Amino acid sequence: MADPAAQNEALKQLLAACARRDSAAFGRLYEATSPKLFGVAMRILRREDWAEEVLQDCYVNIWNHASKYSAALSAPMTWMTSIVRNRCLDWLRRPNLEVVIESDEDGGNLIDAQASEDPGPLDNLSRASEARALADCLARLEAKQRQAVMLAFFDGLSHSELAAHLREPLGTVKTWVRRGLMQLKGCLGTTA
Amino acid sequence: MNYVRNPELIERLAAEYALGTLRGPARLRFARLARENAATARAVRAWENRLGPMSFAVREIRPHRRVWTAIQARLPAAGGAWDSLAFWRNLGLVASGCAAALLVAFVLRDPRFAPVPVEKIAAPSAQMQPAYVAVLSDKAGKVVLLAYADRHSDELWLKPNEMQSIDSAKQVFELWGLPTQPGGAPKSLGLIPTGDKRTIKLAAAADQALSDFPALAVSLEPAGGSKTGLPTGPVLYSGPCLKFW
Repeated sequence: MADPAAQNEALKQLLAACARRDSAAFGRLYEATSPKLFGVAMRILRREDWAEEVLQDCYVNIWNHASKYSAALSAPMTWMTSIVRNRCLDWLRRPNLEVVIESDEDGGNLIDAQASEDPGPLDNLSRASEARALADCLARLEAKQRQAVMLAFFDGLSHSELAAHLREPLGTVKTWVRRGLMQLKGCLGTTA
Repeated sequence: MNYVRNPELIERLAAEYALGTLRGPARLRFARLARENAATARAVRAWENRLGPMSFAVREIRPHRRVWTAIQARLPAAGGAWDSLAFWRNLGLVASGCAAALLVAFVLRDPRFAPVPVEKIAAPSAQMQPAYVAVLSDKAGKVVLLAYADRHSDELWLKPNEMQSIDSAKQVFELWGLPTQPGGAPKSLGLIPTGDKRTIKLAAAADQALSDFPALAVSLEPAGGSKTGLPTGPVLYSGPCLKFW
């Protein structure tokens, strides 16, 4: 794990082996990646049972679609993380669910340490060398833009949830997000 | 709206899609567009690659081993789905502080408890009948089921301890043997009866029926048991199955 490039390469090999229906490689892929992907799902869904169900679906998908992964187009973790994030956001679309989320704010299944206010993502980010450019660019955003972008990404908050959380008008929050994203793009374009 | 002719709009929607703020029907429409239109797919991928590294900052949480068990059960049998090595390694790493899981990890790593050929099982005393013993616990580590079978008997005795209550008209607990060899699938050992008589008739004497399984698990199945030959419901309890000499 010390060398991200080597880890990246190892994960590419495992995905390639999964595409060849190598179930032992799939076991190793799960072992290497499930703590991160489960962390991503828990952070968005905040409920262990939901996150477990999403994780199951995603690994079945990863196994079934491993042959569609292209190492030239994206890093293995980015590809898998996108699958998990998309599934989590789909999950949150289920009817009647939003009511549950709100009423469950202090429920036993919530992991308090994973709350939105959890500090330090930027610190963690800058420690991973692959992510340093992104961390630098996030640090250059205005504080409110940065907060909105990070809450949306890490916690899966929608525009209206962001507005409620930040106690700002919806239109203001949408503008922060949009401008934050475009500035990130400009910044990353110059460092990439 | 014609998205495709509006690259700026596509760029903005791709960014919001990757960030997660594009929601509801708009998200579904955009996902469909990305499947059909290569330029849109590229824009989404570029944004996923830009923002993806943020996930490095998310704290890792090792999922409970039942997730892996459930994934294995959902893979097509042709996939050879039971990679026991990864399964057990994973089992060894579950939540520290979970005494039963640590015990399992300890036992499975200890060469004294490695599978022994049946003919080598010998008791330290003539008074002691060699047997198979399994200790199954729930996800919190509480022991919920003990199982015992004399090595020459096909009767597996069960002693439940506050197993979850179920509607026995609709549901049943099914007991599984979990194999060690790669590509092996879990094997049903039978349905756990309710009422006072808590024994399962094994397909053969314990020496044949249990010796291949270093662990047992209980899943919740519809009345009558799993129709697929593999666990279909949640795996509620699991634990090591050991030869007691």
